[in-house]
Amino acid sequence: MLFAVPFYAVACVAFGTIDPIFRDAVPQWNPFAWDFTQAQQVFTSLATGPLQGVAVRTIIYVVCAMLLCFIIGFPIAYFLVRHAGKRKLLLLVLIIVPFWVNYLMRMLAWVNLLSNDGLFTRFMRIFGINYNWLDGSPITVILGLVYGYIPFLILPLYATLDRLDWRLVDAARDLGANSRQAFRLVTIPMSKAGLVAAGILIALPMFGDYYTNDLLSRSPSTEMIGNQIEFFLNASSQPQTGAVLVIALSIFLLLLMSFYLRSTRQQSRQTAR
Amino acid sequence: MTMRRRDFLRNLVITTGGVTLGGSLLAACGGTSSNTMVDGLAIGTPENPIELPVTTDAIADGLASESGTLEILNWADYTNPESIAIFEKQFGCKVSTSIYDTEEAAIAKLRNGTFKPDLILGMTDTGLAKLVAADLLQPLNKSYIPNFGNVIKGLQNPYYDLGSQYTVPYFIYGNGIGYRTDRIDKNAFAKDGYDMLWDAQYKGKLGVLDSYRDTLAMAMFRAGVKDANTSDVAIITKAGEDLISLREATNPKVDILAYTEMPAGNRDINFTWSGDLFTALQYLPEGVSPDVLGFWYPETTVAKNDFMCITKNAKSPVLAHQLINFLSDTDNAMLNREYVGYQPALESITVDLLISTGTIPESLIDALVTPEKYESGLAQVLLEPAVDALWLEQWTAFTAG
Repeated sequence: MLFAVPFYAVACVAFGTIDPIFRDAVPQWNPFAWDFTQAQQVFTSLATGPLQGVAVRTIIYVVCAMLLCFIIGFPIAYFLVRHAGKRKLLLLVLIIVPFWVNYLMRMLAWVNLLSNDGLFTRFMRIFGINYNWLDGSPITVILGLVYGYIPFLILPLYATLDRLDWRLVDAARDLGANSRQAFRLVTIPMSKAGLVAAGILIALPMFGDYYTNDLLSRSPSTEMIGNQIEFFLNASSQPQTGAVLVIALSIFLLLLMSFYLRSTRQQSRQTAR
Repeated sequence: MTMRRRDFLRNLVITTGGVTLGGSLLAACGGTSSNTMVDGLAIGTPENPIELPVTTDAIADGLASESGTLEILNWADYTNPESIAIFEKQFGCKVSTSIYDTEEAAIAKLRNGTFKPDLILGMTDTGLAKLVAADLLQPLNKSYIPNFGNVIKGLQNPYYDLGSQYTVPYFIYGNGIGYRTDRIDKNAFAKDGYDMLWDAQYKGKLGVLDSYRDTLAMAMFRAGVKDANTSDVAIITKAGEDLISLREATNPKVDILAYTEMPAGNRDINFTWSGDLFTALQYLPEGVSPDVLGFWYPETTVAKNDFMCITKNAKSPVLAHQLINFLSDTDNAMLNREYVGYQPALESITVDLLISTGTIPESLIDALVTPEKYESGLAQVLLEPAVDALWLEQWTAFTAG
């Protein structure tokens, strides 16, 4: 119900009409009277029109940010579980504490750090890196996404790794595998479900994110699909278009979720065997 | 004489005059405020001013001020907190402010009851058409607003609200280009005008307004079009294509933050509202001369004003009238301007007076809107949905990158 009712309401807006006077959405609650004209136009635009570029860019940004999250987050979670000993809970809290601060506040802090005379920019100049971070750079937006969502990857990964039967890794080492082979052939396959779950957990909000780009770039060249949704719903006379984009994004995310469910089901079957 | 709401909705009027709107609208319009059409909006234009329908009576004369709280709905940072504090002390009340960031969202929340203010500040004529259509406003009783006489003469009987039945002008402004005088020569604008925004040397240091009507119209003016409301597909498409070439040449920021980004030195040049440059003076880092900010006021551009209006169900209508009167007083308006930056729409606040206060640097004199500039400015009116969709399509092509 938590999903079906809001989704139905969004569909009623997407396939409804626009008030000719106030230019806001008039939901069509009767599914038999839904009008798909606007939806067709939006899907065409996503496939071949102006929205294609923003859709592709969103996927690229999210994939890059997820990869970076894995590259940074997995070793952290692994270290906490395997090597932090009694201090692992303390270290975990220290990693999470900055994220108790509101997301917008953290991003605004980064705007200051990344400005031309910001601390981070000046620090990087020591190493000869003189980069205009806030000049509409895709790198800044991707790093912003990584910073914003990485704790949501570390926490489930930590929980997964903490539950692993590490005797299996020891057994692999006893049977002649070196540490890399044990990691590749035992640790990674055993933590696959956790990796997929953590990936899905951060991918879902990243795809709908609009404020990271709003705060760190504001350039059309880094616009994400969330920015278009926000514009059409809040500042245009075509809220229908925003609602159709929400549906398109939901369908895409549902496909990702079904992949996750399929993967966890397979994992359970293999464990049962 | 008041009109019942049903009659009122039936008689909603749209006047278009010289403004090009969609065919279906044009067919129904003859250019006077007495024309009738269903599913339209009451919009006046400079060529065809409109007297808005009145559905309720104004409050009676001589009522005492209400005690308690006056609720206002306003843009962020669009009144001076010091002015509000003086008003509170003078009238023994408390002023509570809700913020809106787009007229569309504000009107939607006013209609569904999320916002229940007594007074609305900063709405424009396109918003007024919707507010009146939704029957959300009450007519003003000018006996509470003796300072109405201070309003710029040309705006005392504005085209969007003949007789100022519902509105009192608040600020005036025009669209133009703000620039850093320490990085760009003023004379370059005389030669290149709007083309300056397409100059690749400002890549990463340039911004345009996050407003599809203003920025697309700017591209049209650059191409020689003198209409801010066109329905001509070729012109709209060309404007969209030109903005894409601007994007490719300069990777612009699309926002409404010129007033903070330019004084901080993050932008060299920005297409923006003239008032933003005055607001920007407050954001200059310590030790930086105000002369670093300059403004080019184009010959062909949009000039606008916003206004104050009172809601129909206001709980403190007398206080609301009194705040309008307070903000229309010359001294109070000057104090309010010190914080907001924008230029009050008062006859007494002349360009000479503003310069004499010493708060306006010489480099920003061009950003001041004189009565002549206001007169020659182009008006924007609400577009028919089909035409609006054409504008939005081009805006999406630009912003989606």
